[in-house]
Amino acid sequence: MFKKALVLGVVSGVLAGIAGLLYARLYFKINEADFSKVASTIRILSSSLFGGVLAAIGYTAFLKLLKGKGEIVFNLLFTIVSFASLLLPIGFKLPLTIETPELFPGMVIPMHFFPALGWYTLKPLFMPPTPQ
Amino acid sequence: MKTIIAAVLILTGSAFTFITAQPWAIADSYNIAFSSDDAGGIFKDFKGNIAFDEQNPATAKFDVTVGTASINTGNGLQNKHAKSDEWFDVAKYPTIHFVSQKVAKTATSYQVTGDLEIHGVKKTTTIPFTFKRTATGGVFTGNFTVNRNDFNLGKPGGDVSEQIKIDLSVPVTK
Repeated sequence: MFKKALVLGVVSGVLAGIAGLLYARLYFKINEADFSKVASTIRILSSSLFGGVLAAIGYTAFLKLLKGKGEIVFNLLFTIVSFASLLLPIGFKLPLTIETPELFPGMVIPMHFFPALGWYTLKPLFMPPTPQ
Repeated sequence: MKTIIAAVLILTGSAFTFITAQPWAIADSYNIAFSSDDAGGIFKDFKGNIAFDEQNPATAKFDVTVGTASINTGNGLQNKHAKSDEWFDVAKYPTIHFVSQKVAKTATSYQVTGDLEIHGVKKTTTIPFTFKRTATGGVFTGNFTVNRNDFNLGKPGGDVSEQIKIDLSVPVTK
């Protein structure tokens, strides 16, 4: 179970990271606000991967502890944690050389939902629902 | 007769010759920073007139303004809050203005005393500073502390400490 969850976590994390990079590039093209020194490629990829791996660990743990109710509790918590993590970019203090700090949350906030989005989207592929 | 009149005029004129200090142009790489235990940042808009002569500091004159809307704390929400009517109220008070009244040499540096106007409140303030010559001109460096309550900035007490440290670095060219 953990192996499957881990593979799902890594794949969804990597894809979330790629989506994050594409979004960052699009954001720069639209707003010409460059936050690459703060939200670098490595940081976006590694934090998305971290989110995916953490989800895999959490999913396995909740399923083991709560059995039938494990999945719904995990889903709820994953979503709540994704929302709660928005406090980080909102309260983040950028280097003073960055001209437009007010545009930073707009770039980073959507990325906080990409790991959860990737997980929910790919889960049926890695863990097909058991037919009733 | 004409010679005498000319000589008198020259003598009288020389008695009223004003000693003026060297005018300086503010270069772009200035740094106007503020800090406290809770908040810190910079102002990006700084301009004015500076006249200063190291040999004759009494003739110096500083008349500078800082654009309050140029404040940057590194956080968008904090910037918005700083510009609001609770703090700098940039719509009503778009500038911080300092005009010197007196400049004097101290043992190790200089000090300028003048009217500092922030948020519609004018207060006599003394700023110690140094002046270092560089290849292209010079750099004025100074730091001082203001009590934000003196200028009705923010609510008394509150989350932000009342003593705000100001650090100035102003490179100038001739």
